[in-house]
This record gives sequence, C-alpha cells and structure tokens, in this order.
Amino acid sequence: MKQLLKYLKNYKKECVIAPAFKMLEAIFELFVPLVMARIIDEGISLLKETGDKSVILKCGALLVLLALIGLTCALIAQYFAAKAAIGFAKGVRGDLFSKILSFSHEVTDKQGTSTLITRMTNDINSVQNGVNMSLRLLLRSPFIVFGAMIMAFTINVKAAIIFTLVIPILFVIVTSITLTTIPKYKAIQKKLDRLTLHVRENLSGARVVRAFDAADEETDEFTKDNNEFYSMNRATAAISALLNPATLIIVNLALMVVIWQGGNLVNDNVLKNGQVIALINYMSQILIELVKLTNLFITINKATASASRIADTLAINNTLEDNGTLNAKEYIDSNEVLSFENVSFTYPGAGAPSLEALSFTVNKGETIGVIGGTGSGKSSLSSLIMRFYDASEGKIKLFGHEICEYSLNSLRSTVSYVPQRAQLFTGTIRNNLTLGASGASDEELWEALRISEGKEVVEKKEEGLDYVLTEAGANLSGGQKQRLTIARAVAEKNPLLILDDSSSALDYATDARLRTNLKALRDRMTLIIISQRVVSVKDADKILVLDDGKMAGFGTHDELLKNCEVYSEIVNSQSGREEEM
Amino acid sequence: MKNKEIYKRILKLIKPQLPLIIFSLLMAVVSVVSTLYIPILTGNAVDLMFGPGKVDLAGIKNVLLIFLITLLAGGIANFLMTLSNNRVTFKIVRDVRLEMLGKIHSVPVSTLDRMGHGDILSRTVSDVERLSDGLLLGFSQLFTGVLTIIGTLAFMFATNGLISIVVVLLTPLSLFAASFISKKTYTHFQAQAKLQGQMTGYINESVNAIKLVKAFGAEDSKAEGFNELNEAYAKTNLKALFFSSITNPVTRFVNGLVYASVGIFGALLAGGVGSKITIGTLSCFLSYANQYTKPFNEISGVITEFQNAVACAGRIFEFLDTEDSMDIKDGCEAVESPKLTGEIEIKDLAFSYDKTKRLLYDINFKVPKGHHIAIVGPTGCGKTTFINLLMRFFEPDNGEILFDGISSDVIHKKYLRSNIGMVLQETWLKSATVAENIAYGHKEATREQIIEAAKKAHAHSFIMRLENGYDTVLSQDGGNLSAGQKQLLCIARVMLNIPPVLILDEATSSIDTRTEIKITKAFATLMEGRTSFIVAHRLSTIRNADLILVMKDGNIIEQGNHEELLEKKGFYYQMLNA
Repeated sequence: MKQLLKYLKNYKKECVIAPAFKMLEAIFELFVPLVMARIIDEGISLLKETGDKSVILKCGALLVLLALIGLTCALIAQYFAAKAAIGFAKGVRGDLFSKILSFSHEVTDKQGTSTLITRMTNDINSVQNGVNMSLRLLLRSPFIVFGAMIMAFTINVKAAIIFTLVIPILFVIVTSITLTTIPKYKAIQKKLDRLTLHVRENLSGARVVRAFDAADEETDEFTKDNNEFYSMNRATAAISALLNPATLIIVNLALMVVIWQGGNLVNDNVLKNGQVIALINYMSQILIELVKLTNLFITINKATASASRIADTLAINNTLEDNGTLNAKEYIDSNEVLSFENVSFTYPGAGAPSLEALSFTVNKGETIGVIGGTGSGKSSLSSLIMRFYDASEGKIKLFGHEICEYSLNSLRSTVSYVPQRAQLFTGTIRNNLTLGASGASDEELWEALRISEGKEVVEKKEEGLDYVLTEAGANLSGGQKQRLTIARAVAEKNPLLILDDSSSALDYATDARLRTNLKALRDRMTLIIISQRVVSVKDADKILVLDDGKMAGFGTHDELLKNCEVYSEIVNSQSGREEEM
Repeated sequence: MKNKEIYKRILKLIKPQLPLIIFSLLMAVVSVVSTLYIPILTGNAVDLMFGPGKVDLAGIKNVLLIFLITLLAGGIANFLMTLSNNRVTFKIVRDVRLEMLGKIHSVPVSTLDRMGHGDILSRTVSDVERLSDGLLLGFSQLFTGVLTIIGTLAFMFATNGLISIVVVLLTPLSLFAASFISKKTYTHFQAQAKLQGQMTGYINESVNAIKLVKAFGAEDSKAEGFNELNEAYAKTNLKALFFSSITNPVTRFVNGLVYASVGIFGALLAGGVGSKITIGTLSCFLSYANQYTKPFNEISGVITEFQNAVACAGRIFEFLDTEDSMDIKDGCEAVESPKLTGEIEIKDLAFSYDKTKRLLYDINFKVPKGHHIAIVGPTGCGKTTFINLLMRFFEPDNGEILFDGISSDVIHKKYLRSNIGMVLQETWLKSATVAENIAYGHKEATREQIIEAAKKAHAHSFIMRLENGYDTVLSQDGGNLSAGQKQLLCIARVMLNIPPVLILDEATSSIDTRTEIKITKAFATLMEGRTSFIVAHRLSTIRNADLILVMKDGNIIEQGNHEELLEKKGFYYQMLNA
C-alpha cells in the first residue's frame, strides 16, 4: 500500500476534506443522545409542571437541524472521497498499463498475461474501493467509538468506566474473528477454482471420459474436492457465525452494567433518567460503528493485498537492459544485414538450450528461409533478432553492430515482424495497419495491402480502410487476418522483414503470390521466411535448416537436398501431401 | 420453467433437511423475540428509577436477571440458527454440484455441444454459488426480517398506538429515498459499465498482444489510447460512485427524522396529563425507531438476491432435466459382453441436431475385420458427426451400426467404447501428471506399461526431456506442450491397451513435419491388424486404405479404393487434382 500512496499526492485536499467532514458528521451524531436526554429530563417535566412545550419543540427542532447538517457534511465527504479514490485509481491504472507494456518477454511469460490483466482490473478496483472506504470510515468509525465513550464520560465518569472495558474487548473479538476467517475464505476460493477445473475438464473431455469409461474416476476426484469444499465452508462459516452473537452479548452485558450503575446513580441523585437513556444510546452507537469497522477491515485487507500485488508488479525489474544509444535507422545501408556468431539461447528457467552455436550471415536483399520441426528453435531465432530475449552466448549483429548497441525502440522499429498468431486490434483497418507506420498515407497502405495479397479483403468491405474490426479482429477469417498482419508489417517499409510462420492460413496459390510480391522488393528489403512448409522456403536464396536447436544445414534447396539429411527427410514427408482435403 | 415450478423444485431440494430447517426457524423466533424484548426490559428498568432516593433497586435487579436470561438465550439461538442455515445450504450445494457432474457424464455428448461448455460450466459453478447465497440469505434474513417487523409492530402497538403510527408512517420514507436514488443512479451506472467494458476490452487485447505491440514499438500509442479511455472512465465513475454513495447518508437522515419525531411526539404524550407513557416506554420506542428500518433494507436486499437465485435455480434444473442418453435402446435386451472382432456394418444411418436440416443421412457400408477405412471430404461434410455416431456420443435419428452383426443399440455403451480406441485431432489432456494421462481409464497400469506405451507412441523421448519426466504435472489443456506432443500423448493413451476398432484423426497443418512423421509411425503400429477409421489428409494414408469413403454434405457420395475412385473421375478425382 505504501508504495502506492504517492498516487494520492495530487489529491491532498480531497484526502483532508473527506475525512474531516466525516468527522464533523460524527460529531453531530454524537450530540443526538444528549439532546434527547434534555427532552426527557427537562422537556417532559417542564410540560408536566407548566404545560410549556417549548423545550421539547426547541430540542426537537435541534434534532432535525443536526440531521440536516449531518447530511450536508456526509454528502461533501462522500464526494471528495470518491474523487480522491477515482483519481488515485486512474493514476495507478495509467502507470501500471505503461509498466506492463514495458515488460520484456521473459517477464511477461513469467507473470502470465491473465495475471497482468487481473492486476489491471480487479486489483485496481479493489484498491480504489479500499481508498474510498478508508477515507470515509477509517477516521469516522473509531471517532464515533471513542467519541461515544468520551460523551459517556462527560455524563458521568463512574457510569462510563464500563465503556473503557467493553471497547477493547469488542475490538479484539471482532478483529480476531475476522482475521482468522480471511485466509480461510481464500483457501475456499482456491478450492472452488479446483471444482471449476474439474467441471471444465469433464466438459471439454466429454468424449475421452466416455471413450475410456472414466466417469467413475472423474466423479471420485470431484467428490473428494466437493466434500472438502463443503467441510471448509462449514468450518469457516461457523467461525463467522460467532461474530454476531458474541458482539451482541458483550454489548448487552455492558448495557446491564450501565443500567445497574445508572439506577444507583439516579438513586443517589447524581444522574437523571434521560441521561441514563443517553448512556444506553451511546452503547448502541458503539455497536453499530464497530460492525462497520469490521467490514472496513475486510475491505482494507482485500485492498492492501491487491495493492501489494500491484506494487510488486510496478516494482518488477525488467530483465532486458535498454542501454543502447545507436539509432538502427542510421545504419541500414550496411551490406551485411544480419549475422549470428556462435549464438546459443536457453529460455529462462529451461533445462536445455533452444538454440545452440548458431552462425550464419545474411546479406542485403537476400531471401532466407528457415525450416525445422516444432521445438527446433525457429521462433526463438526471430525472438532473438527482435531482441525479445537476449542470447545466452554469442553475438548477433544487425547492420554491422551488435543489436544491444541500438536502443530497443529503434531496433524494433527498423525490423518488421509478422508473428505466427494473427493478432489485430479493435478499431479501423487503417488504425491497425498504421500500428508501426504512423502517418502512412492511404496510397501507401493500399500498396502494402497489394503486396500482402490483402487488397481484395479490404476492397470487399464497403467502408474500405475504415472498416471497424471487433475485439481481436473476430469479424475476419483466419486467412484475412493473416493478410492484414502481413500488410501491417510491410507498411512499415523497413529494410528487414521477418515472416514467422505467418502464412499458414493462406492457400498455396496466395502464399506463392505473396512471396513473389515480396521478392520484387528485394532492392530495398531483406526477407526472412520462417516456415514448416517446404514450398514456402524452397525458392529462397539460402535455407537455414534447424533441428533440435542446432543448425543442420545452410544453403540452397538443391545443395541441401544433396547434403542435408534432415532437409531431405522433411521434403520427402511433404511431397504428395494434399492440403485442404 | 415457470417460477412456481422452480419454487417447488427448490422445496424438494430442501425437503430432506426439513428437521434442521424447523429447528432453525424455532431458533430464529427465539433470537428475534430476545432482540425485541431487550429494549422493553431496558425501558422497564428505566421506569423503576423513580428519582433520587426512590429507585427500586431490587426491582431493577429482577429485571436485569430476566435481561441476562433473554440475552443469553437470544445469543445462543442466533448462533445455532446460523449454523443450521449454513449446514442446510452447503449440503444442498454439494449435492446439486455432484448431481450436475453426473448429468454431464450421462447426457449425450451432442447435448453438451449444443448447450455450449461455457454455459454448462457457469450453471455448475456460478449459478450454484448464487443459489447458495440466495438460500443462505433467504433462510437467515428473510425469516428473521419478517419476524422482526411483525414483532416490532406488535410490541409497539401493544404499548402505544399513537407513536407506533408515527413510526409506521415515517419509516417507509427511507425506503422510498433509497429506491429513488438507485433509480437515478442507474443511468450513471450503465454509462460506467459500458466504459468499463470498453476499457477491459482494451486491456485484454493489449496485454494479450503485448509481444506484438513491442514488436512494432507501439507502446506509446497504445498507452495514449488507454489514457483517453482511463480519463473518460474516471469521469463517469465519479458520477456513479458519488450518486450511489449518497444512499447511506440519505437513509441515515430519514432515520434521524424518524428518531426526532418519535422523541417529540413521545415527549409531548409523556408530558401530557395522566399519560400512561413513561420515560421507559419512550426509550424503548426510540430504540425501535432506530432498528425498525433495518429489516426493511435487509429484506429488499434479500428479495433481489433471491430473485437472482431463483433464476439460477431455473437454469440448474433445466440442465438437470435434459434427457440422458440411452444405454440400451428402449425395449431391447442387452447382449452381455459380446466378443467384438472389428467387423462393422452401417445401415441407413442418419443424424441431425435440428430436424429441419439434414446433417448426415443415408450412410451405408460394410467393413470386414482388420480393414482400414479412410474418410475424406471437405470441412463440414459430416466426418466428425459420423465418428460421434460410431462411438455413440450422438444417438442416430435413423438406422443402425452393427458390430459382428449385433446392433450397437443393444450393446452397453461402456462395453462398446472399451472396444473402440480413438485419437482425435482435438487433443484432451487432464491437469494431472504425464503418467496419469497415459494411464487414463486404466488406473491399474504399472509404470513399466506406461513407459512401454509411450515408447511405442514415440513420446518417450520428449517426455524424458520434460522437467519431471513422467511425473511432470501438465497444466490445463496440456499447458506448454506443442500440438504434436499432445497428440503423441493421446496416442500413448490408446497404445496402453489397443482395442479391436480404432478411430484416428490425422493432423492437419498445425503439426510440424518431424513430429508428424512420428505420429504416422505410431498410427501404423496402432492400426496393425485392427479395423481402423482414419479421417485422412495425407495422400499416402488414403492411397493405402482398403476403402475410401468420400463424403460431401452429409452423405457418402463415392466409395471404393484409390484406383477405383480415380477411374470414376468423380468428386474424388477432382479433389486430388484441385
């Protein structure tokens, strides 16, 4: 929570006003029993004795006035508390979003995108709620509790002593019950997640469960967790069930003491009846506020847990250092575009390397194919060039300089990359295509679409470039999306384009046309095609064959057929294979 | 399902717990009476304080004794009531969930597909949870709330009608105020919900595509877009939050008014000549006035929650009422454990989800034992539906499938399925260890048998490279295994105990060549000497099949072997030369 407090800095005024007015409201509330005591002690006897209603009416009016002022104060407080809490959340949200975008792939992989999304949504909402409620109640509730005690003391010290005893006892009971149940409820939530997983698996595996006649086994596993869920719920709820009767009994025991003391003091002419009633009222005010305070504790507990998760996320050190000062754009004339010198790479936490001792050079204008099986390291290769990860060993040079000498941003905006998964964003096609090419004209975009064979996709839409894609481009087919993602990369007009297995959803003919279009750009663009299809790479100037992270061959199609066993194996397995049957 | 029917069903669920519920209700009565009696006792005690030197201390002592008994009885009753309510609810929830899972196992797979997995999941998890919340609140607050209101009214009118009328007339004001405010804030909440949806969508999309954003160096423009949404959201959020948070102060204000009115009226009456109203009565009324609105607020909360719960219960019952799949066709006698050889005949088979649209029809063919059948055809031609019928995941609308001349209608499903092994392209793995996944349905398998099966399926080498080998716990859906590796595991699962009939689904493009070679080899081991149906994509597989079924639009349009079909120059020929 502490690390996040700086986000309240701009809301100092609100953070003072909100609790201050809440306190004012509390003060007015604390006067109510005193006024009522005056009605009873003075008003009624005056009426009885002289028939004069003035004290009752005056005090009655005062009660209404107190309620009205209380309302005004409360409204002011609620407004400023809401304002501060929302402003706070807004600040955290903005910074957290930028922070998440700055994470290296290693951090993103480790954290998991779903966790990051939870941080951005649920956790921030919970902290916002915590701040809001704290501003409103954190001062008010204790203030009423202690205020009621002090007011009781002003009425009579002897009768009020019981208050000093009952408040700490109540406080201890309420907090200890609440604090014991919080971790238990967390465990229950986890169990529920387990149950959910069981059901999800039984649904997605309905066929397999039936085929292997495993319904009984599945039911047994489910029953075990289901029963545990039941017992956990019951045990925890039993503890929570103590809260109500326990507080009720303690407050009322104290009330008995007040009545007894009060009776004696009235007898001794120290107290009046109305004052006894006022003492009784203070006691019940304490009870009500303590219940609120408990709920506040639960909220704050949740909020601090969320806050520390957010703070942890904000404090994550990026694993990738961005110390490079060169601007990659200034070196693109180099004849040697890319070179790997003895590069090895092991994914963080993985046991075996994904790439081992890789060395090759790519010259300007060449088309390079990369082929290999799953896990052969094809995608790791592109991740290294884009510097999503740093190589564990060896040197990667781009345009004659090591890639870490460039600033990350200049490196990535000089190399265009089409990932395997065709991901698009909500918004117009134009917005999507200009992701890396801000300021590109419509002609330039149409040109990119032509090259990527995506022209007709857009032409068919009435709105053309203004056609709005729904979330993740769900209103396009896989092949259409893929063409747009290629167009998006081509539109950047960068000197190096990497296609990472990104034409899998295209039919052979389109794929072939795409490659011809790209080849026509060879005087200004070097091309790396990563693929599982032999046809996609076989016309490349050179083909890099990867097998289990090692380079199994590097040469032309014909050369490799002659001297690379892995390559010929792949070629043989794919000949005669029919697509789309 | 009508609400009345749902109530009946809920009552039926509750019925076995009736003794506990009656006990809980009795405890509720004790608890409520105790809470209401305490202000009266307090008032009585105050009334015994006749003034200096005249306080009836002995009388107060007696009152306090009753006070203590009432208090303890009330406290204990409250605790016992909550315990029984919890027990009733949690038990119902547990049993309903188990019944739901049983239902998932017993309905035809086509029902699950039709209803959608997400829908059934939410019925089993969140709907049951909400039903539980609703029941719990209903038991604990609805009954005590109603009792409190009735009790308060009874006590008040018994003591003094006039002040009671003041309380009764004024308290609804706070309810009106609350509902007025909530209506007013509704529009703000809607606006907020809409923007929140947009923002969450934006977050989802950006974070899920974070690698892409970085590849294009587009972090700044994404952050800019987010800031705009963030600003807009904060604005509507402020309105919604503020307006919703004025409910409490306003109700408190109305309560204050009620309190003041009771004080004024009570005092005026008490001060009147020959008044029966004592100060004690007044103090009792004041505490009633404080408490009286609480049950109203609670009940209105419970009612929304309960309506919600009833809707959820309706969805739960609807699922529980879906028809189970038939094990043996009605009126037929089961053939006990026939020894199947793998000879199969399909006669006039037809199936459709929606009776107006034919999905699969007129399927007829015969397969001798040990033959390999390739099923080919464009996407959506009915290949998968046919497999589902063969496994009796779906019930045919018409026709039958004969195994060794015995209709599958009279073979226990369990037995039938143990005779058919399948490896589908959509792999399914449990979140359990690799070994447990391979031994799925065969718990008794030894580690040696498991390793043997994995070796035959060419999965051993990659399994050994996993962090904990065979004891590696796979995360949901096979976690970070590749599609090919997942399929190899599924093959190993069948390899453990190869049945006489096989259904194999050949991989399409998502699997790399090297793994595909392994899969092909593994398939060949499986198929040796067994009747096999292969949904085929590879020409070599198709060419080697004894029988090729060419399907189109739900029908077998051509059948025969490769050469015969080529000679026909029909659809098959066209497909190959496309």
